[in-house]
Amino acid sequence: MASPNAYDSAEASHRALRVIRQELERHPAIEVAQGFPPDAHASVEATLNPAQLKTTAGEASLTVRWFAGESPDDPPQFSIHYSDDTGFDCGWHHEPNPHVEGWGHYQERPDAETAYAYESYSFGSKIPTRVVWEILSRLATVLAERDSGAE
Amino acid sequence: MPDPGVDAWKEQTSAFDRVRSVAQTVTEPRPASGIAAEAAVSENTARGHLQRLVEMNVLQPFENGTTTTYAPDPLHTRMQTLRELLDEYDHDGLLKLKADLQAEIESWQAEYGVEDPEELRALGAETETPEETATIRQAADDWDLTAYRLGIVEEAIEHYSAYSGRDSAPA
Repeated sequence: MASPNAYDSAEASHRALRVIRQELERHPAIEVAQGFPPDAHASVEATLNPAQLKTTAGEASLTVRWFAGESPDDPPQFSIHYSDDTGFDCGWHHEPNPHVEGWGHYQERPDAETAYAYESYSFGSKIPTRVVWEILSRLATVLAERDSGAE
Repeated sequence: MPDPGVDAWKEQTSAFDRVRSVAQTVTEPRPASGIAAEAAVSENTARGHLQRLVEMNVLQPFENGTTTTYAPDPLHTRMQTLRELLDEYDHDGLLKLKADLQAEIESWQAEYGVEDPEELRALGAETETPEETATIRQAADDWDLTAYRLGIVEEAIEHYSAYSGRDSAPA
């Protein structure tokens, strides 16, 4: 049996992003997920299927960033951010920020000219795979409320 | 109430897929019980799948007293990325990709006047606004990931013939 490997946050982040891409492709609302930018693959970009999400938007996309902590005990920093051709964008982020207590938060704005509204968000799990499915489920709820005109 | 998304995840994936996906992203070796809980499978199911993943060299087992813990085999992820690069690029394409990634790193060095992502993070700690700090932190993360990928691209170039089964000479 080997002894545990030396930890490398870039390697761990690379691994997380690979798995995130794979999980996104398993999700029925995702049409395609790719490394972005195309040369460096420092994040993942996905095209969503608006019909499957039951939203009125025409084109919708998702950007996922993930960076594992500097040591194995440090929490990861990540964000899953949605935008569509109505101008609306929103995202679930886990990173230092001046807007809420703690790292986890949700932010949204109706268009790029309006400031973001922020609220705290507590992630059920910080395993990349779990975060993907949790947030796509939250996203469906957010879009359903938006499209029904509910506040 | 279960965590949101778990039901959809279970509908769309097999227990094996879920165990693999969770085990491949842990940052520290974890026992079967911990992986089972995150993967929404029973501990016995997890144990069987983890054993298969060890046999497939996807995971490495570690003995920790009486408990076995599991962590990703770093070679496996690296090999997956190498395979993907070799499927997407020929030898010339890899050389161009290497140059592009190097140019990107040089542009960060020039823009911030630092040598590596660590120095950039140190710089980020001294900025005036949270926005600047966030921008610099993201650049440092991108830089780290770009440098990591550059290392794999260089390996693909160095071992091109052996890994791809193709000739590196231009056609």
